[in-house]
Amino acid sequence: MTDCGCEKAKAELEEYLHNELAKADAADIAEHMAHCEDCTREAHVGTVLTQAVQRACRETAPSDLRDQVLARLREVQSTH
Amino acid sequence: MSVVLDRPSVNTPVIHEAGKVSFALMSNSKDDTTAPADIETAEAEPEARAVDVRSLFEEQAIPFMDQLYAAGLRMTRNPADAADLVQETFVKAFAAFGQFQQGTNLKAWLYRILTNTFINNYRKKQRDPYQGTIDELEDWQLGGAESVTQGRSTRSAEAEAIDHLPDSAVKDALQAIPEDFRMAVYFADVEGFSYQEIADIMKSPVGTVMSRLHRGRRMLRDLLSEYALERGINTSGTRANQPATTGSKKK
Repeated sequence: MTDCGCEKAKAELEEYLHNELAKADAADIAEHMAHCEDCTREAHVGTVLTQAVQRACRETAPSDLRDQVLARLREVQSTH
Repeated sequence: MSVVLDRPSVNTPVIHEAGKVSFALMSNSKDDTTAPADIETAEAEPEARAVDVRSLFEEQAIPFMDQLYAAGLRMTRNPADAADLVQETFVKAFAAFGQFQQGTNLKAWLYRILTNTFINNYRKKQRDPYQGTIDELEDWQLGGAESVTQGRSTRSAEAEAIDHLPDSAVKDALQAIPEDFRMAVYFADVEGFSYQEIADIMKSPVGTVMSRLHRGRRMLRDLLSEYALERGINTSGTRANQPATTGSKKK
């Protein structure tokens, strides 16, 4: 592992946060983060953004939708 | 995480859709020999077999309803259309269930059908005039991206502010960004799909998915920071009560 520097860490931050990097590359960036406050903060904003989107997108389908879908499936099946 | 699913009739012909017969081919499956060779099912009356397929579908696919509805809401932007879209998706998925290979990613498969159904049935109605050319726009034309230079203290304040925003603000911001960007963000951040899976769902190259995700997240971040600033939610400690003049965008 080597410290890859801010440039690589920033360029690949999104891929790092989304687990899209090869192990060695991810390890390099993690190593850099351990020593770079600036990149760590930038990564933190990215993580918080992901969490905010996850929270906002938690939805429950309307209760009657399930019944409607199940009824449709039965209907579709009986016509074939 | 792996779930062992009960497969009643692995290599049994399944009758579905207008009497077409298909085989759920499991030749690559490691557990062929351990799968129950349910002879009774194979010899059962057609109606009984059909009920089996339906209960398998209900057991496996219906649990994704809340997630598909959430995605549908992001796509259609209104609850009635989202409910219709989800219903259509399940009907289509059920009709094609014989082609679904057990053991592969059912969630991704359902999302592909949802996305196709949305594009074919709904997008025409509400098509964004910029859609389709948006991928070719440069970052500066989209505004905001990479133009924000922030210091250390503002960046941790920015995270703090985003963390405390109401869900409604995040939803509004999502609705405000172009559809393809919004869905790339949704698939990656909410559903945790890999870039390759998103590429398959959106029928786009992985590079395009990456670009949409990066730009979408950048726009979202800028919108949310701007919102926080306008509402006086502290993003910097010093300019919380000022109007959002600092969020200037290149025009």
